[in-house]
Amino acid sequence: MNQLYFKIAVRYLLKNKLYSFLNITGLAVGIASFVLIMVYVNYEKSYDRFEGSDQVHRIYMDYLKGESFEPGDAMTYNASGPTLKNQFPEVLDYVRFYYFEKVTFALGDKIIEQPTGSMADDSYFNIFNYELINGNKSSALKEPNSIVLTESLKDKLFGSEDPINKPLEMIWDGDPVTLRVTGVMQDVPKNSHFRNNFLVSYSTENTWDVFPERHKKLNWNMNNFYTYLKVDKSANIASLRQKMMDADIEEDEEERHNIEALHDIHLLSDKPYEVTENGSATRIKFLTAIAFIILVLSWLNYINLSTTKAMERAKEIGVRKVSGAQRGQLIFQSLIETIVLNVLAVLIAFGLALLLLPIYNAFTGAEINLNIIDFMQLMPMIGIVLLGMVLAGLYPAIVLSNYSPTKALKGKIRASANGLNLRKGLIITQFLATIILVIGTIVVTKQIKHLQEQPAGVNLNQIVSIQGSVVSSKKDSLLHNDFLVLEQELAKLPFVEKVTNTKTFPGASFDNLSTSIGMSLPGGIEDDKVFYYSYYTQHDYFELLNIEFVVGKTFVDSPLNTSDNVVVNETFLKAFGVNDPSSVVNKKIKFWGHEWLVTGVIKDYHHFGLKKPILPMVIRHGESNDNILLKLDAKASSTAGFASAIKQIEKTWKRMFPSSTFDYTFLDSKFEAQYAQDKQFGTAFSVFTGLAVFIACLGLFGLTSYTCAQRRKEIGIRKVNGASVFKILALLNIDFVKWVGIAFVIAVPTGWYFMNNWLQNFPIKTTINWWVFFLAGITTLLVALLTVSWQSFTAANGNPVEVLRDE
Amino acid sequence: MLLQLNNIFKWVNSGGQRIFLLKDINLEVEEGEFISVMGPSGSGKSTLLNVIGMLDGFDEGEYHFLDESVHNLKEKHRSNLYKEYIGFVFQSYHLLDELTVKENLEMPLLYKKYKGAERKAMVADMLDRFNIVGKKDLFPTQLSGGQQQLVGVARALIANPKLILADEPTGNLNSQQSEEIMALFKKLNEEDGVTIIQVTHSEKNAAYGSRIVNLLDGRKV
Repeated sequence: MNQLYFKIAVRYLLKNKLYSFLNITGLAVGIASFVLIMVYVNYEKSYDRFEGSDQVHRIYMDYLKGESFEPGDAMTYNASGPTLKNQFPEVLDYVRFYYFEKVTFALGDKIIEQPTGSMADDSYFNIFNYELINGNKSSALKEPNSIVLTESLKDKLFGSEDPINKPLEMIWDGDPVTLRVTGVMQDVPKNSHFRNNFLVSYSTENTWDVFPERHKKLNWNMNNFYTYLKVDKSANIASLRQKMMDADIEEDEEERHNIEALHDIHLLSDKPYEVTENGSATRIKFLTAIAFIILVLSWLNYINLSTTKAMERAKEIGVRKVSGAQRGQLIFQSLIETIVLNVLAVLIAFGLALLLLPIYNAFTGAEINLNIIDFMQLMPMIGIVLLGMVLAGLYPAIVLSNYSPTKALKGKIRASANGLNLRKGLIITQFLATIILVIGTIVVTKQIKHLQEQPAGVNLNQIVSIQGSVVSSKKDSLLHNDFLVLEQELAKLPFVEKVTNTKTFPGASFDNLSTSIGMSLPGGIEDDKVFYYSYYTQHDYFELLNIEFVVGKTFVDSPLNTSDNVVVNETFLKAFGVNDPSSVVNKKIKFWGHEWLVTGVIKDYHHFGLKKPILPMVIRHGESNDNILLKLDAKASSTAGFASAIKQIEKTWKRMFPSSTFDYTFLDSKFEAQYAQDKQFGTAFSVFTGLAVFIACLGLFGLTSYTCAQRRKEIGIRKVNGASVFKILALLNIDFVKWVGIAFVIAVPTGWYFMNNWLQNFPIKTTINWWVFFLAGITTLLVALLTVSWQSFTAANGNPVEVLRDE
Repeated sequence: MLLQLNNIFKWVNSGGQRIFLLKDINLEVEEGEFISVMGPSGSGKSTLLNVIGMLDGFDEGEYHFLDESVHNLKEKHRSNLYKEYIGFVFQSYHLLDELTVKENLEMPLLYKKYKGAERKAMVADMLDRFNIVGKKDLFPTQLSGGQQQLVGVARALIANPKLILADEPTGNLNSQQSEEIMALFKKLNEEDGVTIIQVTHSEKNAAYGSRIVNLLDGRKV
């Protein structure tokens, strides 16, 4: 019997091409969007999973701000881990990472710059249970000067050779050390918040003279370590946290240790000194909501189209009932049709999703492929799709099976009031979702534009940073000298306007700053609570970056390029309660046990991008071999000009450091990269809103084509009786205007609520003006009218005689 | 006796008034009869046919079909009863456009407990009997009106009903096609002993039957 059901389902789809097309396209686009979003959401939620990862927690610092503690740095002290393990039996083990942002490896002639690795305790593999392909998990990181490489780094350095026990020179901060390869580990998956490309044994600290003595002793002075704990399975984390806070292991009232699950880091943690820019739980929530909205929209569409269409099938139902079909059998048959249609849509959707995956990956920066997609994880998703499919199919099925056979056969089935109300409800819901999404899109776009238009307080155009993590076997002072020579050489290039060197620059990571407390200011201000951030640079830095001074001027240039001069920002003064900037200029301030002369106060600029608040800053006068900043002139602004400029810079570099890689960054793109994720989110929001609107339009289009067909006779009679085309159009379209209106009234507060919520993630917020809602409403109305108008226009223009004749 | 209607009343309420569709109908039908129901438009012919066919209920009276009291039966029983014993033929054929001739014939069997092979045999037999084997894979729209009605009659007959109810079976056909269908009905009635009740406007068609029931304003006259 089933065979015939399938047959009729397929024939019906083929016969009603427009209807099938609208339905399948709507569902396919809906399901494909849902799948793509949810796969991404799952990917974002899949960070840092390995066997035993639920036992791993990171500790971080809370700092006292005013009366209460706030999450402070993601980094802790070298004493934090050992102390906690000693004091609390539920802490089974700890591992500390001393993080290298970038090092250089030298192996014979081969010189390779390699980002992100750590010095780690030998307990690493006990906690981060990743596979060690070659070597022994418990001993690989025991001996000083041991290094474990990831497989891909091993391939880069050693190729197919066996690296075990081979020596390898690593240079960090200009200081070389010879290490012995003791293991090769599996590459850390991309969905990890911490990607170590190599691990150096922690005990190397004791033999490597780059670390000063004070660094080697357990201390509560330098929090430069990421510390992870392995906690007993049965331990209660909340009570462990409480115990940690009560114990106050550091014995410092201003600070305390806190703990967070490894699983929570990627989505929930956004602290200073994070290893990398983490994801955002809010974004994930919003995306999930969008995914469901789109899916539900496509089902509503389906219900709408098929109940409308159901009337057309009344005769068939009548014949079947008269031939002895029971309700159950009719419902079953109708469900089969739903399933055929849905299966088609699902197949197209998955095809579409697979096809789009590479583009999608490039866009999201995620690394999703079929291997990584855990199908067990997808089961609930597939379940949702299937359940929705059946539910969406059930309603039209029940409507159909309820038709009375005698009425159905006489063609007397008219839309019941209930059915009409339901369809109105569905359409209003669709409009509602659409308007909310459009409001969302406008607000997100507006916010990102707002961020970009914010005066950053610096001009980062045409500025290139040359990174100085250079390779040289020369002694430090000579290397430093070379770097200064390079700076002078670069200054001679015709397209270089200005040159300076600096420890860091706007848009670079937190890692290059020092955080301190303890400050004495003129006028008897003594403070040991407020955190301030510090780096050092040259006197011409401010001019190069167009950072303006409120009062005073830059450091006094000195032959040594280093002095006791400092410059502070406005936020710094505000933080310490200084109201008159000029009151500190040319006065001494005291911190770090020294006196410093304030030569000027700069206007606030955004050092960490516009998402993060401006912090109190002290900028010292000092020479650095970390970065050379070059301001290029207008000649280098074209692509060709730029390429040749970079080539010449590289040539100069190679003359000075022939064996080292040349590495440069454009400051403006680096700065923008800090809110790249938000831009991505904005684009994703717009694209998926577009798709949602598209689906809603499909439904609307289908519905109008149907109502127009149904009302042909009515339109004919009205026209014969003198109604103008315009009047008919108004008659056909007024309902839609009403429905958009109702949806609009509900959408405004809802949309405001959600988007206001989202904006709370930013220190700088755009305003949600009245025109945002107005624009969203008008756009939706226009799109709706455009969708329905073509058909209502055709219907209104039809010759009434044609319609009335065949009655 | 095949069926018996005793004092059947059926009405609708409209604007506070009770409008009678059927008024005090008494009718006995023996097996093997061929009855024609006649009367002007709105006299209740189709309603009567629907009541007999159990597609419509009634408000008062008794209806006995074979040994069952239809007026006391639940919906489900009633539909089982007509499923087993009654076949319907319509003025506008009501074939399913998406199905071929063969599949249209098979369709009623799907709702009864027949196995696949049995169904095939019954369909083949019917195609053969009605001489439409050559049309079995065509869709209804590819057939003439007369051919469509032929399929309609074949479909009504396929499950071997005791009673065929035909509501103006020739209303959409030309005179030659009409005659063929009526001749077919007569043959079915006489040779196969199928009881037939037809609604018709045409005296000529009515003459094929053994008895005529005349209705006016819901009453038998």
